[in-house]
Amino acid sequence: MFGSIFRFELFYQLRNPVFIVTALIFFLLTFGAVTLEDIQIGSGGNIHVNSPYAIAQTVLIMSLFYMFATTAFVANVVVRDDESGFGPMVRSTRVSKFDYLLGRFTGAFVAALAGFSSVPLAMLIGSQMPWLDQETLGPTALGHYVHAFFVFGAPNVLITSAIFFAVACVARSMMLSYVGVVVFLVLYFLLTGLAGSQPEYRDTIALFEPFGLGAFSDVTRYWSAEESNNLVAAFEGSVAYNRGLVLMLSMLAFSVAFWRYSFSEKGMSARQLKKDANRRKKEALEAPNVVSRLPLPNQAASASARLIARTRLEMGMIFKSPAFFVLILLGLTNSGGALWFANELYGTPSVPMTFALILPLLGSFGIIPIIIAIYFAGELVWRDRERGMNEIIDSTALPNWAYFIPKVIAVSAVLVATLFIASLAAIFVQLLRGYVDLELHKYFFWFILPFAVDMLMIAILAVFLQSLSSSKYVGWGLMAIYLVASITLVSIGFEHPLYNFGETGFVRISDMNGTEVGGAKSWWLRLYWSGVCLILSVLSYLFWRRGVGVSIASQIRRFPSRFKGAPAGVAFAGLLVSATSGAWLFYQMNVISEYVTSDEVEERLADYEKSFLQYEGVGQPSITSVELNVDLFPADGKAYFEGTYQLTNDTGAPVTELHVVFQDGYSELVNIDIPSATLTLDEGEDYGYQIFALEQPMLPGEEMTVTFQSERIKKAFRTSDEDSRLVKNGIFLNNSEFAPQFGFDRSVLLQDRTTRRKYDLPAELRMPKLEDEAARERNYVGNVDWVMSDITVTTSADQTPVAPGKVVSDRIEGDRRVVRFQSTNPILGFFSIQSADYSATSRQHDGIELEIYHHPTHAFNAERMLDAMAVSLDYFQKNFGPYQFDYARIIEFPGYASFAQAFAGTVPYSERIGFIANAADGNDIDYVTYVTAHEYGHQYWAHQLISAYMQGGTMLVETMAQYSALMVMKQMYGEEQIRRFLKYELDAYLSARGGEVIEELPLYRVENQGYIHYRKGAVVMYLLQDRLGEDRVNRMLAELLEQYRFKGQPYATTIDLVAGFKQLARDDSERRLVSDLLEEITLYDFSVVDATVRPLPEGGFETTFIASVKKLYADGEGAEQDAEFNNLVDVGAFTKRPDYDVLEPEDVLLFEMRPMKSGQQSIVIVTAEKPLFIGIDPYSKFVDRKGDDNIIEVSES
Amino acid sequence: MLSLNGVTHVYPNGTRALDDINLVIPKGMFGLLGPNGAGKSTLMRSVATLQTPTSGMMSFDGINIEAEPEKIRARLGYLPQDFGVYPRVTAYDLLDHMAVLKGIATKSERRDTVETLLAQVNLWEVRKKAIAGFSGGMRQRFGIAQALIGNPDLIITDEPTAGLDPEERNRFLNLLAEIGENVVVILSTHIVEDVADLCPRMAVIVAGQVQLEGAPDDLIAASKGSIWEKTISRTQMSDYAEQFNIISSRLQAGRSVIHIMSDSDPGSGFVSVDGGLEDVYFTTLAKTRAEASSSAINQ
Repeated sequence: MFGSIFRFELFYQLRNPVFIVTALIFFLLTFGAVTLEDIQIGSGGNIHVNSPYAIAQTVLIMSLFYMFATTAFVANVVVRDDESGFGPMVRSTRVSKFDYLLGRFTGAFVAALAGFSSVPLAMLIGSQMPWLDQETLGPTALGHYVHAFFVFGAPNVLITSAIFFAVACVARSMMLSYVGVVVFLVLYFLLTGLAGSQPEYRDTIALFEPFGLGAFSDVTRYWSAEESNNLVAAFEGSVAYNRGLVLMLSMLAFSVAFWRYSFSEKGMSARQLKKDANRRKKEALEAPNVVSRLPLPNQAASASARLIARTRLEMGMIFKSPAFFVLILLGLTNSGGALWFANELYGTPSVPMTFALILPLLGSFGIIPIIIAIYFAGELVWRDRERGMNEIIDSTALPNWAYFIPKVIAVSAVLVATLFIASLAAIFVQLLRGYVDLELHKYFFWFILPFAVDMLMIAILAVFLQSLSSSKYVGWGLMAIYLVASITLVSIGFEHPLYNFGETGFVRISDMNGTEVGGAKSWWLRLYWSGVCLILSVLSYLFWRRGVGVSIASQIRRFPSRFKGAPAGVAFAGLLVSATSGAWLFYQMNVISEYVTSDEVEERLADYEKSFLQYEGVGQPSITSVELNVDLFPADGKAYFEGTYQLTNDTGAPVTELHVVFQDGYSELVNIDIPSATLTLDEGEDYGYQIFALEQPMLPGEEMTVTFQSERIKKAFRTSDEDSRLVKNGIFLNNSEFAPQFGFDRSVLLQDRTTRRKYDLPAELRMPKLEDEAARERNYVGNVDWVMSDITVTTSADQTPVAPGKVVSDRIEGDRRVVRFQSTNPILGFFSIQSADYSATSRQHDGIELEIYHHPTHAFNAERMLDAMAVSLDYFQKNFGPYQFDYARIIEFPGYASFAQAFAGTVPYSERIGFIANAADGNDIDYVTYVTAHEYGHQYWAHQLISAYMQGGTMLVETMAQYSALMVMKQMYGEEQIRRFLKYELDAYLSARGGEVIEELPLYRVENQGYIHYRKGAVVMYLLQDRLGEDRVNRMLAELLEQYRFKGQPYATTIDLVAGFKQLARDDSERRLVSDLLEEITLYDFSVVDATVRPLPEGGFETTFIASVKKLYADGEGAEQDAEFNNLVDVGAFTKRPDYDVLEPEDVLLFEMRPMKSGQQSIVIVTAEKPLFIGIDPYSKFVDRKGDDNIIEVSES
Repeated sequence: MLSLNGVTHVYPNGTRALDDINLVIPKGMFGLLGPNGAGKSTLMRSVATLQTPTSGMMSFDGINIEAEPEKIRARLGYLPQDFGVYPRVTAYDLLDHMAVLKGIATKSERRDTVETLLAQVNLWEVRKKAIAGFSGGMRQRFGIAQALIGNPDLIITDEPTAGLDPEERNRFLNLLAEIGENVVVILSTHIVEDVADLCPRMAVIVAGQVQLEGAPDDLIAASKGSIWEKTISRTQMSDYAEQFNIISSRLQAGRSVIHIMSDSDPGSGFVSVDGGLEDVYFTTLAKTRAEASSSAINQ
């Protein structure tokens, strides 16, 4: 009996559209994740797209979302018979309840599992796609897919099947089952979120987290790329335990279902019966209003009634459908987390300003309106036929327009409502965070309106394709092809928005500058596409198959005779709109601007490298002084530049030619005037590279004056990104974007290995070796020189211009504001030009003018930044030497990028980071102060000492700025708080190692690798100052600064820095430590076991524990070998676990260093109070791969 | 007046569903009788503007149905052979919705329409129930109600009494008879009684062709003297089937009463009876089948 019920159920489910649709959706999602570079789950860097790690990770994450599909399968089993009225018939047969339930459950589960197999299948197929870079692929191993599917996928589908089968058995309703899913998900995220923030629960999560994500990450946390590519998370340990538990839980859930499921139909409760009786009584009292002759129709008068009735019906059908409900819930679940954690950094939340929530909202919710548009277009078109109402409806006098127009209105209304709901979710998050300045108009104009129009266009395309299709599924399939094609076309070089249906470009959102960047273009494109949509609408209307047995072919045959009157008029109107707006856009994009595909851009860069890299070593004179006149016209999108350079030949040899590089795609070099020179190579147009031969070679020490004019004018829309630097409010340009430079520079070259190989370039262009003395001729910051600057910036009178230098004059001339900035000592020839309508907050501090220029509504952290500047400059002046300016400025720029950058005394700072950080909670990491201190650290490390462009160069700049900031933080917040920050840095370093593409290098040889010079650098420098003494380290650094301050070639290298640290080392163990930290890739593993405490007779407590120590050296590929450890390590005793939470000084009972060796050793400490936790290296000062086991709870002996 | 001239419909698979149908249907009830698959529904759908015949001309009161379907639809009430309904919608709301679609413009007129019709088809009690949960008979009554909205001049009902219990059927036929005095009502059915009770005119359609047309009384009169009856035991049935052209048989008290068609006395104890419409119908069917098989043999 079981067998036949199972078979029936399985085949029923497999034939059900739900199966086809979910399998297709999950196939496409996974396929997209595998084949698109923008979406990566588990892969990236050196981890292959089809590595066992990526496969398992994808299966795990997809299985979480598959819950929505699973529920559709299993709840259908329970609900179906009641809904179809078939239930009583089935239950009256001799089938036993157990067979019935188990057979059906198993059938539905196997069907769900079959649907889920689309995920590994999509990975398998996707990884064979020819456009994937072979380097990102490993060998295809079927076993990895099978393993992931059966160890992680299948149990997850089983447990969700069982749980929601039980829920459906109790609730007997599809809708309530889905409410159950949401409640489950919310609880799941809440519990794992809470527990996840407590590392001591990691083990618990690994065992009990029902989807195996905890167990999987427990096993793979710090896997190297090599391990990720080759190992599967074996079915043992926490994985086996977790999966076993999941099986048991599934059985338990099924038992509950069996126990609660009743064969008899659920009767009405007494209350419901009474209510029903009352209702009947009331209804019975109402008499029908019977007339002797029925009213006659009036076709002409019923147009509006028909429009309203049809629209209401269509909308009702969508709003009341379970699919809509489920999609909205899915979207809200996904976006809830994204919104809550939006813009969070180092665990510190941001002020949830509306502009900053829209991007996360789009990212996390955006797929839902697309699915709604496509799914319901099919439903609307086919519903009458599927419901069998088409003959009745089609034979009424309903005019043809009343089929199409109400559907469009209904879909639009549903989409707008959907986006309103999404906005409400964001508003809910704002209110939860206690933020009340909701700026509703921004939701409407920046999110709801544009996105609704975009989605409506997709819906119209979907309706059109449905009207041509022989079934709903064909129509959906065509839309799936459209979605895939629209992505692939762009990625294979067909990027023009005028032929990618519905393409409206990317609109950048900023509080400062609104939607200027991309906004206007997007509305022009919407106008253009809406004309196309009008034409599609007319075609859909004319192809509409009213009646029975009407074929598409016959509709197309009849088309010419029906194409007249209003439909023809609308189509021609659409054509007119599209043709004129399209022609205008084409003129803008292809005639005035140049249409360049990203492939062509890459090819141009590759050609540039092939042609001009040979000139890298050609000696060029240095610029010693720069005079710039910059005229900004923000409202008109125009900027004019005039400059005068003083050059000196400091190469020590005659210079015969000048290599002029001017590469910005938005600016134009109008003129460059080099005295007595002839242009011998002019590749200015294509490559921005010109070579001028000097009639008389420039002799060593000789000087020369060069002048130039350039301009940057927004002339027209572009197919690619609009200029986001020269904008109406928030201009942020640097001199490489408008001023010519001398000599070849690598910074623009192609980086990505795959791309480079595609154009026959060596896969990587490595930095010069540390030993390459010749490389010390070029510095790390674009090889710019130490110059004196005199910059005059004019802008419109309502804006404030800012550039590096002391303000020597500031006046209004007519409608222009004119400000002149002069340097008081040499600065790096690297300038920022900014202009916006700023509010300023300032403070005098020891003769230094501290200023924050910010958007009027972004004043949240201005005082905090001023404090940070004051403390930083105090610390640096005391420890590193004099600060070279009498001003320090932070200037906000629109959040088109998320960074802060240090120019001379002048720090442009993105709207998206510090300005909207919510550091109000004193327990969160104050990264506003941290970033500020880091950038002002650069006023020493970069703007006083500049390193050579070679290995280790970024250590002298970025690691030292990290160190500077850490010391400021230590001074402000104390050692206990720093450790929380270092935990983030350490985790970021360890997690990023696996993603290394080329080779991990020791810190002193770092080749501009962020995870090394920022992340590892912070950890290493902190430990060095901790061991060698902060003051001693600072004195050494001050000497180094003294040696290189404002010095030209040869530039500083890390050889000096390493030597400095080695001199500070007082014994072998310190020398070993310096070498291990700077010259080796060293990993440590400390752990504590068996901590017992006993009270001492004389008072106090004695704690004994076993400390285990391990040291490893890793090579560039991650291969490890054991090494001997013999050094001091911190030992601490606490009354509270030191983790990501705040630790008060009174929580620390003992903190001191003890000598330790590789292997195990017993350690005894004595404290006055009884410790609850003890640990070695409890503050994670070492690069410890498993920091969680450094601390242990003390047990009584 | 509905007139059909040479209406022929061939489906893409080659099935000739309608073969040169010529009919003139005056005001009043018109019965269209035929077995399942005879082409009745195709014909009904064609008249109801849902299907365009391959060739032929259909007009109603001088309006070309194919050329101006919207004019026909404005005067049409159509009850298809089977139909479904939207989920989660009550009878009242759906009928109201249908009234809008049919062009009852104002709310009050729709109220009159909906409530009168619901009362007429005896669905008033259940007007607030979701129609998807209705029994077959209730649903059929709803179908009738929607077909009557707006006093149509041309009412096409395709198997309207299917699924109705005798009482409902009477009620429905009375309703139609009442309306049928002034408008064209086509009652397509395979149930002879429906036609016999109601229709002053009728046609029999078999295999896409009109085999017989006229007033039922005339047709019955014409058959006078050619219908013979005999009561036999059930075991004799097969012998008789070989010897005679049995047009109908029914059971009476455990024995079979058979009717055969013969212009002269067939002997063997058959007695001449006055045939009913049923005999006329079955005679026609039998003739058609005989022709079809002989033409098949001749080929």
